[in-house]
Parts: sequence; C-alpha cells; structure tokens
Amino acid sequence: MASSRHPETRADTGSGSRQLPVAAVFSAPAALFAAFICLALGALIYRALTAEGFTARLDDEFTLDALWLSLWTSTLTLGIALLLGTPLAYLLARGSFPGKRIVDVLVDLPIVLPPTVAGVALLVAFGRRGVFGEYLDDAGVTLPFTTAAVILAQLFVATPFLIRSLKAGFESIDPTYEQVSATLGVSPLRTFFRVSLPLARPALIGGSILCWARAISELGATLIFAGNFSGRTQTMPLAIITAFESSRGLAGALALSVILLGVAFALLLALRFVLRSRDMYLA
Amino acid sequence: MIEVQLRKRLGDFQLDVSFRAGDETVVLFGHSGSGKSLTLVAVAGLMAPDEGRVVIDGQMVFDSENGISLPPQSRMVGYVPQQLALFPHLSAAHNIGYGLGHHPRVARERRVAELAEMLGLEGLLDRPPHKLSGGQQQRVALARALAPNPSLLLLDEPFSALDASIRRTLRRELIALRERLDLTILFVTHDLSEAYNLADRLVVYDEGSTIDEGPRRRVYAAPTSRRVAQLLEFTNIFSGVAEPGEGGGTIVAAQGLSLKTLATGLQPGQPVDVCIRPDYVLLVRSDRGAGPQNTHVRGRIVDESAHGSSYTLRFAIEGTDMQIEAELPVRPYEVLDVANQKEWWLGLRREDLHVMPAPGDRQAAPGG
Repeated sequence: MASSRHPETRADTGSGSRQLPVAAVFSAPAALFAAFICLALGALIYRALTAEGFTARLDDEFTLDALWLSLWTSTLTLGIALLLGTPLAYLLARGSFPGKRIVDVLVDLPIVLPPTVAGVALLVAFGRRGVFGEYLDDAGVTLPFTTAAVILAQLFVATPFLIRSLKAGFESIDPTYEQVSATLGVSPLRTFFRVSLPLARPALIGGSILCWARAISELGATLIFAGNFSGRTQTMPLAIITAFESSRGLAGALALSVILLGVAFALLLALRFVLRSRDMYLA
Repeated sequence: MIEVQLRKRLGDFQLDVSFRAGDETVVLFGHSGSGKSLTLVAVAGLMAPDEGRVVIDGQMVFDSENGISLPPQSRMVGYVPQQLALFPHLSAAHNIGYGLGHHPRVARERRVAELAEMLGLEGLLDRPPHKLSGGQQQRVALARALAPNPSLLLLDEPFSALDASIRRTLRRELIALRERLDLTILFVTHDLSEAYNLADRLVVYDEGSTIDEGPRRRVYAAPTSRRVAQLLEFTNIFSGVAEPGEGGGTIVAAQGLSLKTLATGLQPGQPVDVCIRPDYVLLVRSDRGAGPQNTHVRGRIVDESAHGSSYTLRFAIEGTDMQIEAELPVRPYEVLDVANQKEWWLGLRREDLHVMPAPGDRQAAPGG
C-alpha cells in the first residue's frame, strides 16, 4: 500500500480496513471500562425509576433542602476557589518565591489525603476548642457544624483540583506571549488578564469542572467538620447516607442518588456549553 | 540609534557583545546558539545582563554602573520573536492594536487600519492568527510591533520558516519599510545572503561574542580575522608569512605559493592569513593572461558540485598540497567547457586577496 508509506496520509485513514492496530488492541479494555460505568449508572436509573415512591421523593422537603444546599455551597466553593486558587496556580507556574516546592506539595496533599482526615484536621484547627477555633470562638465566630463549615470542607478538598489543572495550564503557555505583551507596554497584571488567563482557558474550564464536581460529591470532611444537620449542613451525599441508614434503606438512597446524578450531569453539560460557546476572540 | 554593550553569563555560555548603529538595519549574523537572540531579549529588557549598557535613541535603558534598568514596558522597542507569538485568542486587528490599549478607541482603530494598509493586510483583520498564511502572520506580527511607534525594532529570524519566494518579498518590503520609518532595526539571521541583502550594518557573532562589526560591504569584503572569514563563507583561507612586495604591496608566502596582495603595513616575517572568496577565483583561458601583477597557479579539478545556477569547483594546485575552491556561474561554465577540461590556470587578483593578521598575532590589522 503506497499510502502507508506517507505518515501524513496514514493519519487520515481513521475508518475502514486500514485502521491502526492500536485501535483494535485498545478497543477491548476501553469498551470493558465504558460498559462498567454504563452498567452501574444504568442499573441505578432503572431501579430508581421503577421503584415505588420515586416521584414523591422529588418534591420531598428533605430532598429539596439537601439538593439546594449542595448546589449553592458547591458553586460558592468554586467561586472562592477561583478567586484564591488562580493567583496561587499562577505563582506556582511562573513565579519564584521561597518555599515554592513545599507549597506545591502542600497544595496537592488534600488530593491524596482521605477526606475524613481533612475533616479531623479542620475540626482540630477551627473547632470550638481547636487550635485557632478557640480565638475565633472568643471573637464570636463559630465555624464547626455550620454551613460555613460545609464550604470550608469543600474548599479544602476541592480547590487543589483547580489549582493543579490551572498550574499545568499556565505552565504550558509559551512565556514569549507574555514577553511580547511586556514589550508592547502592557503591565504584568493586565498581561495576565489579557493573555495568560485567556490562553489557560481549557485548563480553567477543566479545573473548574473538577473542582465543582469534587465539592458537590464531598462527604467525609463535611460529615466530621460540619455534621449532618438537615437544612444546614446536610448536603446530598450526606442525605444519601442518612437515607441509606434509615428505615427506608436502599430505596431512599436510590432516589436521592439518581437525582444527584441527573443534576450533576445537567450542570456539567451546561457548564461546558456556557464556557465553550463564549466568543473565542476577546477584545 | 542604538548602542549596545552587554555581558551575561548563563551556565557555560558567556555573552559578550558590543556594537552601535544609527537609524539603519543592523543584521546580527552568526550560527545558531551564538547569542544573537539573547542579545535581542536583553535589549528588549526581558533578561537582565550582568553588566553593560544599552542606549536607545539617546535614552539610557540599561546601565549596570548606575543601576539603571528600565522595564520592557518603558523601552519603546518593537519585538518580533522567532515563533511570532501572535495571540491566538485575538483577531489580527486585536493583535495589531494590542499595544495601543491606552489610546482612545477611534485612534486605535485608525492606527490599525493605517498599519494594515501599509503591510497589505486589508480584508484579513477579522481573522484569527491560525486562519492566516505564514507570510500574513509575519506581517501581522510586524504590524503589532510597529503599532506603538517604537524607535527600535527587534526581529528574530522572522522569515526563517517561510518559503523562499515569500522570504524574498518580505525582505523587499522590510527594506522599503525601513526607508519609510525613522527607526533602527536589529535583524537576527544565520543566512548569509539574507544578512547581506538586508544589512546596512553587519555584526558578526561567534560563540557569544561579537567578533566583527561595520558597514556590510567592509565586513563582507574585508573580514578582520580568520574566524570572521570562515563565517562569511570565504572557503579559501591560507596561513602564510608576509614578505615585502613590489609597489608597496605584500607578498604572502603560503604553502609553497607566493600570493601577490595589496596589503600594507605588515612586518616582514609576520604570520598572516590570506583569503579569497570562491566566486572571485578566475579561470584563465589559455589564450589570455590575468595580468602580471596578479598570482597565477595551475590546478586540476578534483571535485565539483552543481547548484543549479552555479558550480563549485575544487582544484588541487600543482606543486603544492593546497586546494582552492572556485565558484562559477552556469553560463561561463558551459562556454568554457569546464565539463571536459580539468586542467586550468587560476587567476587570483591581488585586490581580491584579503590579508588578516594570524590568530594570536597581536599586531594591528593591515590595510588592503
């Protein structure tokens, strides 16, 4: 085959009999894993839809409270994470400051740490009798077992995902763009907003999605630091655990799970759509 | 106008450059890795030299002695890096207008339109960089650098990735542009013909240092050292010793030959290098001489290669172990029937033999 000798034409033969062997070899494990996900989620949806009392669950106050709390806390968490995490990600990628390596490792730590450990750490630090919580308590600020604690727990475990993604995004930008911007008289801060941030957009989108997803699925740290109070700190994952352990058992957990799945999926799609469809050429 | 004097150590690499120029095109010429791009980066203020000074249009922008180092934003320098770095998220118009943020919108748009007209970019302004051809991208990058009206333009091998025909067009345009605008251009290239084509002034780089600097004709025809001659593609360079010649010139005794030159001011017995460009070596027809004042040697073609418009012939010189390279355009090659005649008299005109002090020889450079 003449075409197989030319790399530039070989890349075009994506379909048909001349596919690269790698596709054939990889398709089996790939399909296996895709099937694994589909089977689990499919079963969830199937059982939830055929179970009795599913629709009743949808306008149950207990469910709606948990859903609303989950949505707004995770969204606020993402907002705070963007505000605080973006500068840190940029400094880690471009700056040089003492202890940069240590900060870099510390930021990654919550990703590998079990969330329950994060919860214990937060409680020990900011609990009423905690290391810093004592002073906060004296100042009349109580964090543990409040909605603020829910957000702090989410920030702790979710922000590193955003920072990690954004840092890689900033690092992948050719510094020449920023240099050219400087020679054109544009200050470093304006350069950040006009060049660096727009060029890191894919990392920003990916990191935001990861961060938000991690926040809305947060369970362990929240349970320990914020507790499980309906309407105040009981987010959807906590509500699912509560339902699972109640008399309703699996049936209750099932309905909540499928609602969370649906909302998360819808939001993920919406986020992607909104962020992608924005005009590519910013003035 | 520019004056550059810089030193910078980067690991094993030592940058040590010095040159000055008026409102003209200065070509920084040398092999890749010789410090040309680094010089641009330092002049733009994107890298801090260890010591030295940079004066642009009478303004001191860097002076290590007095602790002056203006940030790139204040240097009024247009910089086009090798990879262009057009902002991929901005249209051509927004790229060009990028450095005009502080101007009112109307003035900005007028300036963008003016540059687009000057560089033939009308109708392309709405396109993002990836929808422009290589030559168009080049023009947008140039327009972007020129937009804030810099007094110095830094171009880092801007045409190296383009087809030969587009390169020629852009070079012509750049020369025309230089004549229209009051600015100094520092142009980096490793292509000798491009360097000569564009330069008013030529600066030769070798391993981090500037080893020759001057008007292009002087540097090209009369390099100051053997190394400069090598970089400028003098393929015939011979070591010898100066001897007094008739009429004030110098005879260089090199590898068994006596080469008549016009060099003056040399001590008898002084070690020198003598060089001649391959295209200056004459093939002498047997029925004609090249004049008694010139050197004649007899050689036999031992190697030849064709380049389309010319031939490179390598001659072994009779009675010596010397080889001389000659370059001959196709037409004389055919007329002289070089293909079938391998033995030739070669003429080396005394004005074409350039004499330089040998490396390590501390005496002043001779004239001629």
